[in-house]
Amino acid sequence: MEISSAITETEPQKFALPVDSEHKATEFHLFSAAAPHMLAFHLSWISFFSCFVSTFAAPPLLPIIRDNLNLTATDIGNAGVASVSGAVFARIAMGTACDLFGPRLASASLILLTAPAVYFTSIASSPISFLLVRFFTGFSLATFVSAQFWMSSMFSGPVVGTANGVAAGWGNLGGGATQLIMPLVFSLIRDIGAVKFTAWRIAFFIPALFQTLSAFAILIFGQDLPDGNYQRLQNSGNKQKNKFSRVFYHGITNYRGWILALTYGYCFGVELTVDNIIAEYFYDRFNLKLHTAGIIAASFGLANLVSRPAGGVLSDMMAKRFGMRGRLWALWAVQTLGGVFCIILGQVGSLTASIVVMIVFSVFVQAACGLTFGVVPFVSRRSLGVISGMTGGGGNVGAVLTQLIFFKGSKYSKETGITLMGIMIVCCTLPILLIYFPQWGGMFCGPSSEKIATEEDYYLSEWSSKEQGKGLHQASLKFADNSRSERGRRVHSQTLPSNATPSANV
Amino acid sequence: MAATALLLGLILVLGCFSEICVAMISFSSLQTTLVVTASHPQRLLRAGEDKITVRWGLNQSLPAGTDSAYKTIKVQLCYAPISQVDRAWRKTEDHLSKDKTCQFKIVKRPYTTGNQTLEWTIERDVPTATYFVRAYALDANDHEVAYGQNTDAKKTTNLFEIQAISGRHVSLDIASVCFSVFSIASLMGFFFVEKRKGRKAQQ
Repeated sequence: MEISSAITETEPQKFALPVDSEHKATEFHLFSAAAPHMLAFHLSWISFFSCFVSTFAAPPLLPIIRDNLNLTATDIGNAGVASVSGAVFARIAMGTACDLFGPRLASASLILLTAPAVYFTSIASSPISFLLVRFFTGFSLATFVSAQFWMSSMFSGPVVGTANGVAAGWGNLGGGATQLIMPLVFSLIRDIGAVKFTAWRIAFFIPALFQTLSAFAILIFGQDLPDGNYQRLQNSGNKQKNKFSRVFYHGITNYRGWILALTYGYCFGVELTVDNIIAEYFYDRFNLKLHTAGIIAASFGLANLVSRPAGGVLSDMMAKRFGMRGRLWALWAVQTLGGVFCIILGQVGSLTASIVVMIVFSVFVQAACGLTFGVVPFVSRRSLGVISGMTGGGGNVGAVLTQLIFFKGSKYSKETGITLMGIMIVCCTLPILLIYFPQWGGMFCGPSSEKIATEEDYYLSEWSSKEQGKGLHQASLKFADNSRSERGRRVHSQTLPSNATPSANV
Repeated sequence: MAATALLLGLILVLGCFSEICVAMISFSSLQTTLVVTASHPQRLLRAGEDKITVRWGLNQSLPAGTDSAYKTIKVQLCYAPISQVDRAWRKTEDHLSKDKTCQFKIVKRPYTTGNQTLEWTIERDVPTATYFVRAYALDANDHEVAYGQNTDAKKTTNLFEIQAISGRHVSLDIASVCFSVFSIASLMGFFFVEKRKGRKAQQ
């Protein structure tokens, strides 16, 4: 018997998509905007896209900005590191905020709080002010976590990898699109009659306004869960308030979260690093025009249109056949191959070969990002936000580290830096071998056979018996049941333990 | 497979050739035959406002006929070494096609014997930096054949500083502040409305 029926609930809602017992959609219809599932998807990828556009709006205009603000190469490098370092802690904080307040309020608040940084970029007047605005604008990249959290709340196991992959991929697209949008907006404004040094300032209002409007859209049209918003559900008793210290504790003590944080640093972190250095690399090594180098740089980010979603889809496909073990194997293989292509990219000496290898490299590295978030939703149910935040934050740490070690100053030439980065990717992907779920197994071991390990055991271990006595674990229970699909084809061949455990026998 | 490899190979070769076709004139091969001076107010010059008077002409102590190939004069504003430090996009290279020292054209005129003068208002897109003036003499194919500059060979004398426009306007400042305040205020507004709706629903 389910507790939720004892509380006054509106009569069963009709959803546009087929749903599971948690009312999460079990299908993903890209070209629909039906509330609440697909609407949440579109709101989340568009707002994340706008944050990426804002964060990487400066690089394509640097040739103008560096002359206006009298920047040196060191100033530019520092601002680049600053732009990705702010999000390290912001992502972890965002994860917790999602667990506590819901993704809608958390993401809209962050977006509106960082919009001023983008507006103030227009009035930056020195290297320090430039660094500060890039630093604070970079905080907005934490919307990644709320987007993933939101997708994991709206979409069920069989499609969560796809939903996460497309939302994040299309959001990351902003990093590539901005390399095309900003120069265009700039030349438009300059042709209307503004001087170069004023035109770039006006141009920054475009990403800033876009960001502000997307936050409004989330607040007006979005909702946290298929059944409604956190606050309303908490007030009507349909959702229990979660305790911050417990949520945080269960998140950071889960070793899988730490491993995924490290490995994500070497797919997404590498992607951010490449976004910052690739235009310069092609410009300097092959003496291209800035315009041409910019287009090549944009194509790296634009590959996200399909490659990251492909990673998510691949993850879901592997899970259907091989369960969680399939997801882990695919993640390790694709990310390692990404590292191999990175090594090759640093070694090739001709322009055409470099472009080809770069595109292959981008596909693998971005697919690895999509595959990572096919695994993350299953690491924890209670602390999903904290785990998402740790993984996301780890991505940014990877970006900061690789830029500091390989791309600051003149210690390594850019091509050597790229090769070394590739080697580091291969090494830092190995820890995936260590991830093990008792109920599903790991890359080399099957599920635990000492006791019949179940999904319920794993997810309910995050709730104390006292909390279970109060019935706070209901959502986790439903999730555990729905996650049985991670067993792969074995699902139907096993007799499942009785689902009658949810009875609140105090 | 072989056809694609052949095609790729052709593209590569063509790419290499196009590099070679650009004339590789080196700066060190040019002769210093022109005398250039630049006079300006003795203070920090402001872009868009101040004027520089540039004079150039052939060095009279050279034998006649030195300037027989000169067809055009190109006078440029160039970065002094101090403004090139840690800025690879202003680097001095010997090959003129790759050299980024002189990025602003003051004037380009047909060459005439005798001295020429020009009063040039510093353009508004000139960045803050230390500069000198250099004039190149071009032949009929638009290739550099000689030069002269208002500073010495080590580029240490007669340098002048220009202060760029900030590009900021009061209206931009006000707009930035207003929009920022609006973003934060609207967030507060939304929270307030949500809390009120929540309280109403509970009643």
